[in-house]
Amino acid sequence: MRKIVALFMTALLLTSFMVGCGNENNSQDTTSNTQEENPAENSNVVVINYPTFQCGVNTAAGVVAQLVEEFNEEYAGKYEIRLEEIPGDANYVDKIKVQLGTDNLPPVIYGGGYNLLDLVLAKDMVVDLTDAVESDPEWKALYSDIALETNSRDGKIYASSVEGSVVGYFYNKELFDQAGIDDPAKTWDEFFEQCEKLKAVGITPLSLDTADSAWVTQLWWGAIVGTANEDGLEFMQTMNPTDYNTPEMIAAVEKVQKMLQEYTTLDAIGGKYEHAANNFLSGQTAMIANGPWMIGDFSDLTKTTEEFADKVGCAVYPGSFIYDAPIQGYFVTKQDDPALEEAAIAMVKFFTSKHAQQLGLEMQGMVPASSTVEITNAAQESYPLLADFLGIAAEAEKRSDNMQSTMYPNLLDVVSQELPRLYSNEIDAAAFCEILTESAAKNQ
Amino acid sequence: MKIKKGWIPVFLFPAVALFLLIYLVPLLIVFTTSLFDYRLTGQGMTFIGFSNYLRLFQDPDFYQAFKNTVIWIIIHCTIHVALGVIIALMLYKKPRGWKFVRTVYMIPNIISNAAMGMIFLNIFNPTYGVLNSILKVIGLEHLTRNWLMDSATAFPSVTMTWVLFAGYTTTLVLAQALSIDESVLEASRIDGATSFQTDVFVVLPLLKKMIGTTMVMAATYMLQMLDLIYITTGGGPGKTTTNLPLLLYGVYKSENNYGYANTIGVIIVIMGIVVMTIINKAMKVNDEDY
Repeated sequence: MRKIVALFMTALLLTSFMVGCGNENNSQDTTSNTQEENPAENSNVVVINYPTFQCGVNTAAGVVAQLVEEFNEEYAGKYEIRLEEIPGDANYVDKIKVQLGTDNLPPVIYGGGYNLLDLVLAKDMVVDLTDAVESDPEWKALYSDIALETNSRDGKIYASSVEGSVVGYFYNKELFDQAGIDDPAKTWDEFFEQCEKLKAVGITPLSLDTADSAWVTQLWWGAIVGTANEDGLEFMQTMNPTDYNTPEMIAAVEKVQKMLQEYTTLDAIGGKYEHAANNFLSGQTAMIANGPWMIGDFSDLTKTTEEFADKVGCAVYPGSFIYDAPIQGYFVTKQDDPALEEAAIAMVKFFTSKHAQQLGLEMQGMVPASSTVEITNAAQESYPLLADFLGIAAEAEKRSDNMQSTMYPNLLDVVSQELPRLYSNEIDAAAFCEILTESAAKNQ
Repeated sequence: MKIKKGWIPVFLFPAVALFLLIYLVPLLIVFTTSLFDYRLTGQGMTFIGFSNYLRLFQDPDFYQAFKNTVIWIIIHCTIHVALGVIIALMLYKKPRGWKFVRTVYMIPNIISNAAMGMIFLNIFNPTYGVLNSILKVIGLEHLTRNWLMDSATAFPSVTMTWVLFAGYTTTLVLAQALSIDESVLEASRIDGATSFQTDVFVVLPLLKKMIGTTMVMAATYMLQMLDLIYITTGGGPGKTTTNLPLLLYGVYKSENNYGYANTIGVIIVIMGIVVMTIINKAMKVNDEDY
């Protein structure tokens, strides 16, 4: 009897270990890209499993949810999108990388500003959309020259953008008045003079950051580079630059060092975007560089005071520079099932259509990727500052993509780690640029 | 009673099988892939021998991270463990409120590292942080600084986020101390030993193995430490607060170079084995008591 009990317990112990693994396999099957579950019900429906970080509190969550609903309605009985929510864009990027490593990518990926297209393309797992786009005049018409460049490689179209990235800076008109400043600066000399004027009346001029790839700081930095001269502008328009030891880059970093040391809050050093945003929204700083997606925050009473939105103005950078590049969009990955690829292409076309871009504009204040998408009255009423901003942006003379999108991904952490040393004079601008060059070389 | 030794392997088999599957096989994979050029975007894996190791030993970032890791292990095994032992020695005499102190002192160890990181981010914040605010109030404004982002203070500031919280050490050592036979302590008192002499010459030797165990735990904790550093300084400024796990994570995340990242992983494993062997030998953890 005791032997039987002992044997039974051993077998039970072994089985319990295996059950856990079995449950994990079952849960992976539920997120599979094929239509294995409910075969009787969905035998004719191609299911597109779509992981997305644009869910929950993400500003685009509502837009994506509505597009999914509309797509499923339009393609009822043929295609169906099933959302897989992954809160946090960093988590989304990590998940895609893991799936890339196991050759198990979802049919549709949103490239965003995360350089995912090139990663997946390096493993030859992206579907060429050239034929699909060329055969659809309406879809083709949505691609501007810059959008074609952003979403193409070696003459082939691989992705389709829904969102444009037009980035200037915002300023607090009330604080400008206190310092006796009438209008945003037209030149960088004037800009730094305005910073001195603000400081003189006890106002901190700039919101900056250094953590999390220093988004806000690098916007100013890139603008200084892009307006230095032709070489500077060319640098800003180059994907994955390797040499940061250029005169215009070193000069720009010197100016960034001055901005960090003299014109910003102490918590900018080591601070994240949230600190920079909070300083501006609480009226502690006079200027912040950021995109139009921030406009909604100016009216958000959980983040700022009432009527703050009325105090905010927008501007292009000194030297008539603006960041203007379509954000890398959706792309389709190669699948075993051709029907799934076809469904994925239909989804990408739907999610980047004129209607989708207009929806994003009206619901989120998102800048459309295509200039053919008009700014509707509804959008102008909800986001008057956006309408102003787009009007001002149209007059900017120099344009490029931002540095975070064009530099090698490994440099983003290097920037965050080295900016505090630049601030404390532990390294100078030349040394900072040398470190970036050495780090970029690791990608060769 | 005759012991049926035949059943021992049968009952051990599930645990051993699980250990091999979850630990040994991945460990072998880590070591093997460190000999390959293995990248996220690569087309398969290419055998490159010890090239990754050669690259690692020529990388100044590795030496900085290695140095930081070793210093933190030493601090954690000495100061942190010593603090836990001292508090345990104070509590085992059961002064008033000893149970309350034991529980409260454990609280920081219950809070997740991510939450602790956020707490200290706010404590050390240069604008509104508690530390700078207190310094201003007591007239020491000249000492205020950006504690986590100043190269001179970043390393000690990050160290402060864990060195004082020795709750686990205290709990384990205290449990061992409370299990000491009262007759031993009474004998020392009869011999005229003071409380301090009893603690040092009687109690501590009896706790040596448990202290050795907590030192091993402290060392392995430091070899895994990533989240606290990532949240507070991100390894910066520069590489001032980067340790080996953070270096590994940076290589994996930014360069997508799995082979090179696994090379760092192998070094971490070897360090762990060496450190544990040294501690076990020094504290004679595996020796018999008689």
